[in-house]
Amino acid sequence: MTDHDAVRDLLAAWAFGALPPAEEQAVPAHLAECETCAAEAARLRETVRLLDGPAVNAAPPSATSEVLSAALNARPAAPRVAAHAAPYAAAVAGVKALLPQAEGRWGTPVVHDWDVHATVAHLLAADEPLAGRLGIAARVPATPEPEGVSWGDAWDRRTAEVIAHEHARTPAETVADWAAQAAALLAAPEARVPELAARATMLMGVRLPIADHYVVRAFETWIHSDDIGRALGLAVPPPPAGHLGQLVRLAVRVLGLALGPAAPPVLFAVDGHEQWVLGSEDEPVHGELALDPVEFCLLVGGRRTPDEVPHRAAGDEGAVRNVLERAASLSWL
Amino acid sequence: MESTGETSARQPADAELHRRLVYGDETALAEAYRAYGALVRRVAVRVTRSPGAAEDVAQEVFAHLWSRPYAFDPDRGSLRTWLSMLAHRRAVDWVRSEARHRKDAHADDAALNAIPDASPGPDETVVDRERSLLLHSALAELPRPQREVVHLAYFAGRTYRQAAVELGIPEGTAKTRLRTALRSLAESLADPPDPALERGA
Repeated sequence: MTDHDAVRDLLAAWAFGALPPAEEQAVPAHLAECETCAAEAARLRETVRLLDGPAVNAAPPSATSEVLSAALNARPAAPRVAAHAAPYAAAVAGVKALLPQAEGRWGTPVVHDWDVHATVAHLLAADEPLAGRLGIAARVPATPEPEGVSWGDAWDRRTAEVIAHEHARTPAETVADWAAQAAALLAAPEARVPELAARATMLMGVRLPIADHYVVRAFETWIHSDDIGRALGLAVPPPPAGHLGQLVRLAVRVLGLALGPAAPPVLFAVDGHEQWVLGSEDEPVHGELALDPVEFCLLVGGRRTPDEVPHRAAGDEGAVRNVLERAASLSWL
Repeated sequence: MESTGETSARQPADAELHRRLVYGDETALAEAYRAYGALVRRVAVRVTRSPGAAEDVAQEVFAHLWSRPYAFDPDRGSLRTWLSMLAHRRAVDWVRSEARHRKDAHADDAALNAIPDASPGPDETVVDRERSLLLHSALAELPRPQREVVHLAYFAGRTYRQAAVELGIPEGTAKTRLRTALRSLAESLADPPDPALERGA
């Protein structure tokens, strides 16, 4: 490349003041001896001069708090709650950030036979058992359940009932009801005082402390926001690392309970977290299994099959397979 | 939405900040303002020539980032360029809407209609101010890949080499995009003024 070609290519960067010092030095010498480049340089510099305009003294920057409070008026931050409820507060904030993107696309299919609107209605129904246990009234009238119905069937019936009810309303009304119930859950004393959340209660087929039921709500809310994001073509980020750890630890505990004390033991690791031995404590470990935390959550959430979930395994294939299949079949989500 | 033609270098710090914004962590908003507030105000004041208007633009830009975090996609570009481009677009809109108000206020006065929209400062001629607005409007309409490099090189004070690294493109491409962009801006001055701008649309 000749000097002429090299400098000509640099002129725009030079006019913008975007040349490293070493290259900047080469420009004036060439302009002094090349009329074509000098004319081009003058034209580009004049364009940048016009873009610049005269120097305007900017006012001192407004206090951070002014800009922040204007923004926080438009969208409140996730409420401050105790650690066990923080993942749910964040997941709710995440859904609220996502739903404006569904405007005009509420009928987009998401999962099962639900569209975006029905998925929000499902979240409204799914938060209801914990809300009810904490004394928060249901927002959609419920028909009495027949005797002897399993929690899973009752859960499906209630979701169908709420979705039918909500489809007769606008998406905005459904979102408002879901958000109000979520806000009530987060304003409950049990969300703020850990001691109050230590009491164990049976919900959706598992007996867990209230604190863990909040983590379950976070888990399901995040899984469904991931569903909605995928349906809308948006990448929903995984929960913040600390919250993801809470989801993982709870899922591992429930998985351990589901496997029971007689399962062939497997050394189970989630990247970035501790390791657990799942299954029998009386035998040596038969196999090893390691997963990424988000992939593990998606497996437990029913969004990955044992065949497709990326994992690393060693040892007894049957024992490892047993853990993957049991994780995928945890029906509490 | 236009395509950038290639995937920008993904900024892990931006992805993490975006994640916290999505999940309603207000400290992420404060961090974004500390990192990019000065840039946003610099862009806005250069277009509007008004410190007050630049403050309003800055508030709007950060309120938008916070209340619509999915409008920013960390896989498509850096937060720095996204905020800078949003500030520029909002500032151009502000100037246009000012122009409209002025015209409305003086609708009966034919003489005033001939006067350019935003009043020039003491150091700027009327013609220069008019041409500057024309250039900033044209800049806002450039294809996104060109605009990204211009914003980094011009508003954010990066060399073209630093801009190339930040965008994950070859240095030659950054140089070419700057050249294509600045030439088409220079040519927009030679063209007759955009009638839409004249109407303050």
